[in-house]
Amino acid sequence: MGIVSLFIAAVFTNNFILVQTVGICPFLGVSKKTESALGMGIAVTFVMVLASAFTYAVYDWVLVPLGMEFMQTIVFIFVIAALVQMLEMFIKKTSPSLYSSLGVYLPLITTNCTILGVAVANLSDALVTNLFMAILNGLFCGIGFTLAIFLMSGLREKVDKANIPRCFKGFPITLITACFMAMAFAVFG
Amino acid sequence: MFCFQDINWGTFGWTLGVMLIIALVLGGLIILVSKFFSVEKDTRVDEIVEHLPKANCGACGHPGCEGFAQALVNGTADVDDCKVSSKEQKIEIANILGKSFSGGEETVAVVACNGGNNCQDKYAYQGYGNCQAQVMLSGGRKACPVGCMGAGSCADICPSAAIKVKEGVAVVDPDLCISCGLCMQTCPKKIIKRIPKSAKIYVACSTQCKGKEVMAACKAGCIACGICERTCKYGAIHLVNNVPVIDYSKCVGCKECMNKCPRKVIKERNA
Repeated sequence: MGIVSLFIAAVFTNNFILVQTVGICPFLGVSKKTESALGMGIAVTFVMVLASAFTYAVYDWVLVPLGMEFMQTIVFIFVIAALVQMLEMFIKKTSPSLYSSLGVYLPLITTNCTILGVAVANLSDALVTNLFMAILNGLFCGIGFTLAIFLMSGLREKVDKANIPRCFKGFPITLITACFMAMAFAVFG
Repeated sequence: MFCFQDINWGTFGWTLGVMLIIALVLGGLIILVSKFFSVEKDTRVDEIVEHLPKANCGACGHPGCEGFAQALVNGTADVDDCKVSSKEQKIEIANILGKSFSGGEETVAVVACNGGNNCQDKYAYQGYGNCQAQVMLSGGRKACPVGCMGAGSCADICPSAAIKVKEGVAVVDPDLCISCGLCMQTCPKKIIKRIPKSAKIYVACSTQCKGKEVMAACKAGCIACGICERTCKYGAIHLVNNVPVIDYSKCVGCKECMNKCPRKVIKERNA
């Protein structure tokens, strides 16, 4: 039961982009085409799972025993940045094709607030009780992110073809679209 | 008020030490990973990027100028694929690659259609304005399958604003055209072509239909009568699939074919 409610919370009721308004930069920046939006979504999901695993472990096994919980934000940024850096090198060596499809987005994710958001949310979320649940939460939040950015890119491809007034072209209409999507997702809550 | 005596130096040092250890561990890990997973990168890629226009227009079909440089080094692309870079830049790149550059001629785009308002409509179209949307409905509203619809998708995408729609047909301004090829990719009917910048004339029709069908559809379409082919003294113009094709290496620009063409399909390039 816990896993199901975690899934619904992460994907719909507490969707990172549309409800908590975290990670708006990739949501607006990389949602022009469905293809690149999916690439970004998968990359974010991937990093979220790893980041929640490592940050939760570091918090539980290093920060709590040392009584240094107040340093969590800085330590998390350290861990995530180093993690993405290593991951990029690892993928570059082992799978050049995956690197060329993900590669552009990975460095962007390093400083992304959604990743840090998941790491911090894992600590305060009542449903996240152990490392396994933290990893699952990372996966579900990633799925929520992918869903939101994928829906957005589909809408934007459609809107690009439409005859919209010049003053609304580009970002204005995108922001209005995002607003309507957020209103729709607010109904879940 | 904040005072230095308020700082708990014990906790401060303790925190600093732990952070230092975490930073050192992570830094060491990164160094280790970069040692184990280092990839040899060809230094020529960066050099080539230096000589590319860095417009990242993507007209070559590669993801940006760096992607194109990578493809050049891999041998899957040709220096001439980049239409935006100048001749000097291309020679520099060819030098880096250790190849000789034949010196491809500078080109411009032309719309191979003269129809516009001369060409009849199959139906009255109401809907989204651009060509991509129009062509979805039974291949566009024009009676000619390769007739310019004049909705200006090419004009919208042109980075140098060289294309204008005049009397229902798109026209390229050769002075502004940088021959990037984006319009050629965008045009759903694929009727925008490249010709040498030095060309005097071009064929402003793409139809491969029979003369009778063209007569019924368009007042300015080529009916494949072949007068141009018979007129040309230099053998530079030939009918291929019911439409004349000019061999610009033989054309001297005498404009004899242009003057003889009964449908005024061969047009002077207003340079």
